[in-house]
Amino acid sequence: MRQPPVNRIARDAIKAWKITAAIYISVLWLATIGVAIITYNYTVSYWFISIAVLISALSTYLFVFLLPKIRWRRWRYEVFEQEIYIQHGILIVSRTLVPMIRVQHVDTQQGPILRKFGLASVTISTAATTHEIPALLEEDASDLRDSISALARVDEDDV
Amino acid sequence: MSEPKRLHPAAIIFNFIKGIREFIFVLIFGFITFRDQSFGYFILIVLLLALIIVAYSVISWYRYTYRVEEEELRIEYGIFIRKKRYISKNRIQSIDLTQGVIHRIFKLAKVQIETAGSGNGSEASLKAVKFTEAQTLRDELKNEDTQATELDPETEAETTNHPFYKISFKRLFVAGSTSGSIGVIFVLALGALEFERFIPDRFFDNAMSWVIGLSIMLIVGFALALLLFLWLLGIAGTMIKYGNFTITKYKDELFITRGLLEKKQITIPLGRIQAVGIQESVIRQPLGFVTVFAEVAGGSLDQGEDFSTVLFPIMKRDEVEEFLQEILPDYAEQPQDFNPLPKRALTFYLFRTMVPIILLGIAVMFLLPQFSWVIIILLIGGLYLGFLRYRAGGYYLKENRLMVRYRVLSKTTMLMYHKRIQAFEKTQHKIQKAKKLATLKLSIIGKLGTGKHYTIKELDEADLDQLSDWYSYRK
Repeated sequence: MRQPPVNRIARDAIKAWKITAAIYISVLWLATIGVAIITYNYTVSYWFISIAVLISALSTYLFVFLLPKIRWRRWRYEVFEQEIYIQHGILIVSRTLVPMIRVQHVDTQQGPILRKFGLASVTISTAATTHEIPALLEEDASDLRDSISALARVDEDDV
Repeated sequence: MSEPKRLHPAAIIFNFIKGIREFIFVLIFGFITFRDQSFGYFILIVLLLALIIVAYSVISWYRYTYRVEEEELRIEYGIFIRKKRYISKNRIQSIDLTQGVIHRIFKLAKVQIETAGSGNGSEASLKAVKFTEAQTLRDELKNEDTQATELDPETEAETTNHPFYKISFKRLFVAGSTSGSIGVIFVLALGALEFERFIPDRFFDNAMSWVIGLSIMLIVGFALALLLFLWLLGIAGTMIKYGNFTITKYKDELFITRGLLEKKQITIPLGRIQAVGIQESVIRQPLGFVTVFAEVAGGSLDQGEDFSTVLFPIMKRDEVEEFLQEILPDYAEQPQDFNPLPKRALTFYLFRTMVPIILLGIAVMFLLPQFSWVIIILLIGGLYLGFLRYRAGGYYLKENRLMVRYRVLSKTTMLMYHKRIQAFEKTQHKIQKAKKLATLKLSIIGKLGTGKHYTIKELDEADLDQLSDWYSYRK
């Protein structure tokens, strides 16, 4: 755990995250427009609209432009024969060890945005936890899934 | 026992009660709506509904059959859609017998059968079976021919060659009087002190002249009586839940029976125990009493059940080792020298407990400035709690066993084995990194198919890295 894992996730993850964030943020902007209309028609204090615009602009910058890049830089993973090693997190960096013999199943998933970039995410489940590697090239993701599920063998001593 | 059998007819009563419960809101709503007009029709409809429920109860009892055949428990049920559920013997993890009040009148038991994967609710539950019948059923479904373990503690005591523990009445009483309800009492007591400050202007000035008639003594007396009542309620609750608590080890299973009104017998296969914990609540700790519990994998969660299985409700701290030596020797050793948290972690602990209190304090100062003194008390209490939390935190590592200790309100010590830990996580934020501290999170299997997670905050980073080396399978 002293060294971070070596593999990075796909570069296009940043674009995919930006689009996802943009979709969510657009809802915020719609709300802001709503506030603007109300302010215009009912002569409410301009404070509300200023605050709404400020919040929307700030979150647009944060979630669409700033965070995806940092998030990508933090995301690392490495698969050993005996265990999977994952690092992620922006403010709080977390590093997780998942032993192969604890892995119960591995899934790959692909939403419309990930598909557009030819990406897929891998989900690794144990009896107590689930871990996700969010965006890998489709090819890599399915390779990873196959190799993990080949390496995962449940311990006899298990419940 | 290949003949299909029916449940005891008392199951009709349970079906009926269940049916009524499902319609109770409709009934209440109907009563309110039709109270004035067409009340007669309402009664008629209610009678009809009751008749339908009765018929339904009887038919579903009639249709419900079970038998043991070809190493399987086969249940067939359903009125419109016939359902068959076959549970293979070697899939069955545990069979629990429960006796509610009605069960005990008719000498019946409820048999709950659990498999490893069952989520919420057991895999199969026979609502009412003759008690002797339930025991033979259990013995038949057991993989090996274990002899029947009686629910009756007297006969159980005769099998003296098996480790056996029983709760004494005195202990049970201590458990009740120090149960969580005393916390509620403290809050109420504080509230009662405030009571007086709140009342005067409004109440006395208003037309409620009779309140003046009541002397302040009477009000205090009333408050005290209320507190006493709550306290007794706490004792009664514990008595009903843990009365006649016994735990027996038989071969590779633990049998727990408990309950005064509802007798419950729980079976725990030793192999399913993921971790053993010792809990010292704030009230019990000074008295030297602890609760021993286990995290058991799989199985269902009944209504009103705790998430952990209590192995013994209350015992002296220094009896734990001997108790575990008998019941669960693998988990017995209790080390004294925990690796504590580093000194620089203390600031984090104090800060974390203070933040909510400070926020509350600011709000109080603006809204109710006359109560500022409460905040000072809270601050002192918060500081002390933060300090206690810091003091409690730590770990102990020996061979393939890891013990972690932490406190939220109660101090909890968990012992688990390397092979039981499902995932190991280290988290660290910028400030922790600067101070060379990190947070540890361990996951094990819990009930309901979800995990149980244990976090120790602000461990020395070097210690944590050492633990991760210990955990890593990559050698």
